[in-house]
Amino acid sequence: MVLSFARRLAAVGPILLVVSLLLFVALRLLPVDPAAMSMPPTATKVEIEAARSAMGLDRPLVEQYAIWLGQTLHGDFGTSIHMRRPVGGLLLETLPATIELSVAAMIVAGLLGIGGGLALFALRNRRGEAVAELTTTLMMSIPEFLWALLFIFLFGVLLSALPFTGRLDPGMTRPVVSGFLLLDALLVGRPDIYASALRHLLLPAAALGIAFAPPVMRVLRTSLVDVYQEDYIRQARLRGVGEARILLAHALKNAILPTLTLMGVQFGFLFGGSLLVEVIYAYPGMGNLMVDAVRNADLPIIQAVALTYCVVVLAITSAVDALVLLLNPRLRA
Amino acid sequence: MIPRWARDGRVLVGLVLLSAVLVVALLAPWLAGMAPDDQDLLATLLPASWQDGGDAAHWLGTDSLGRDVFARLLYGARVALTVAAIAAPGAMVAGTVAALLAGYLGGWFDWLVGRAVDVWMSFPPVILSLILMVGLGTGTRNVIFAIMLVDWTRFCRVLRAEVLVVARRDYVTAAGLVGFGHVRILLREVFPAIVPLLITLLTLEMGIAVVVEAILSFVGLGVKADEVAWGQMIADGRSTIYQAPFNLLAPVVAIFLTVAGFNLLGDGLRRSLDVRLLEGRG
Repeated sequence: MVLSFARRLAAVGPILLVVSLLLFVALRLLPVDPAAMSMPPTATKVEIEAARSAMGLDRPLVEQYAIWLGQTLHGDFGTSIHMRRPVGGLLLETLPATIELSVAAMIVAGLLGIGGGLALFALRNRRGEAVAELTTTLMMSIPEFLWALLFIFLFGVLLSALPFTGRLDPGMTRPVVSGFLLLDALLVGRPDIYASALRHLLLPAAALGIAFAPPVMRVLRTSLVDVYQEDYIRQARLRGVGEARILLAHALKNAILPTLTLMGVQFGFLFGGSLLVEVIYAYPGMGNLMVDAVRNADLPIIQAVALTYCVVVLAITSAVDALVLLLNPRLRA
Repeated sequence: MIPRWARDGRVLVGLVLLSAVLVVALLAPWLAGMAPDDQDLLATLLPASWQDGGDAAHWLGTDSLGRDVFARLLYGARVALTVAAIAAPGAMVAGTVAALLAGYLGGWFDWLVGRAVDVWMSFPPVILSLILMVGLGTGTRNVIFAIMLVDWTRFCRVLRAEVLVVARRDYVTAAGLVGFGHVRILLREVFPAIVPLLITLLTLEMGIAVVVEAILSFVGLGVKADEVAWGQMIADGRSTIYQAPFNLLAPVVAIFLTVAGFNLLGDGLRRSLDVRLLEGRG
C-alpha cells in the first residue's frame, strides 16, 4: 500500500515540472513587455532596456526558466509589476482566504450531497423519484457562478438577510495571525469578528457547495442501491435490525467509499470554481488576485497563482488517493 | 416507428428548450425591435416595463449605458449558441482522435496522451482558460479556440477507457485476422461502438461551452467589448443589482434554460442510447 501511494506521489513531481514549464513558455509568448510595463510612461528606450536586463529578460528563454524555477523553489515568486509588491506576500494573504472558502463550500457540498443522496435512495421506486431525479438534473444545469448570483439576488437583495461583499463588515479590521479569518478571530478573542466573518462566508460557501452537491447525491444513491443487493443486508434484516439502522449503520459505511472518492475529485474542481465565486462576492482570495492580474497582464502574479492552484489541486487528488487506499481494504494489495 | 430516444421525456423537453433558444437567436433582429448596442444615456437603468417608472419601449428595462436589456438578451443567444456549436464539436474531434489512437495503438503514444491529460487535469479549467485568453486576446473566435484547447481532455479521458474495452472484443481481433488495416478497423469497427457515448458527451459539452463563454465574458476576457454576450450583461447587472434587477436576472435565466436544455437532452440520450443501461433494465 505504501509502495503504490509512493508511486502516485512520485508522479506528481514530473507533472508539476511540466506544468511550470508550460506556464512559463506560454506566458513568455504573450505580446506584452513586462519591462516596459513596470516603467513610467515617460521612460526612455535606454531606461526600459536597463530594466529589461535587470529583470533578466534579455537572456535566453531556457536560462530565464532555470532562474525562475530556482527562485520559485526557494519561495521567491518575484515582484508584481502592477502592484509593486512581492508576489509571495500576496499569495500568503489570499491563499488562506481561498482555502477557507473552499473548505466551507466542501462541507456544504458534503452535507447536501449525503443528505440528498439518502433522500434520493429513500424515494427509490416511489412516486417522488422522477421529480427528485429531474430536480438533480436541473440543479446540475446551474454552475457555481449562477448560484452565486441567484443567492445574492435572493438573500442579499430581496431578503436583505446576509452580506454579499468582502469578508468582514466595513469598519472591522482583520486580525492577522494565521490568515484563516475564522481561526484568527477566535485566537484574538473577538466573537464579533467571528460572527461577521461567518455571515460573509455563508453565501459564497453555499453557492460554491450547492453546485457540487448533485453528483455526490447521485453516486451515493447508486452505491446504496448496489450495497442493498448484498447478503449482509438481508442477514441484518433477518436478525431483526431496524431499517433506519441498516441504512445508517450497515449500508452507508460501505456505500460512502465511492462517494468519498468522488468528493475528493470534486474538491479539486471546487477549488478551481472558487475563482468565480470570489469575483462575484468581491471576496479577497486568490481568484480575485488572479483575475486582477490577468486584466493587468501582471505576469509574475499569473504564473505564481496558476502554479499554486495546480499544486493545491494535485495535493488534494493525492491526499484523496491515499485516503481511499486507507479506507478500502480491497485496494490494499 | 419512433426511435426509443425520441420517446424520452427529457430528450423532448431538452429539444424544445434548445429549439426555442435557436429560434430566438436566429430571429433576434426581428424580435428585438432595436439594436442591442443602441445607447440612450438619458434612459439608463430603467426598470422592467410593468414596474413603476418602466418604459413600454424597453420591456425588460435598460442597462447602465441605456441599452435595451431584452434586445441584448436575444442577441446574446447568438454568441452562446455559436460558441456551443463550434467549440464542443472541436473539442470532441480532438479528444476522440487522441483517445482512439491512444486506446488502439497503446505503447508510447498512449503514455504520451495519458501524461498530457494528467498535466491538463492538474489545472482547474477556469484557470487554464483564463491563461489562454490572456495569450489569445478577446473575441468569439478565441473563446472557441480556448474551450477546444481546455476541454479535449473531457472526451479523451472517458473515450480512451471505452476504446480499450472495445479494442479487446473478439470482433475487433477477428477484423485484424481477416486482414483489415488499422485505419479501417478504427473507423469501421471501433468507432461505431463509442458513438452513443460520444453523442452524450457532446451534448453535455455544449452546455459547458455556454457556461465557459459566459464566465469569460463576465470577467471581461470573453467576447470583444462591442459584441453582445450574456456574461457581459451579468457583469453590468452585478454592479447595478439594486437599481435594475432584470439586467442581472434575465441573462442568468437564459443561461440556465440553455444549459438545462443541453443537460436534459444529454441525460435522456445517455439513458436511451447506452446499451449497458438498457440491458440492466431488462
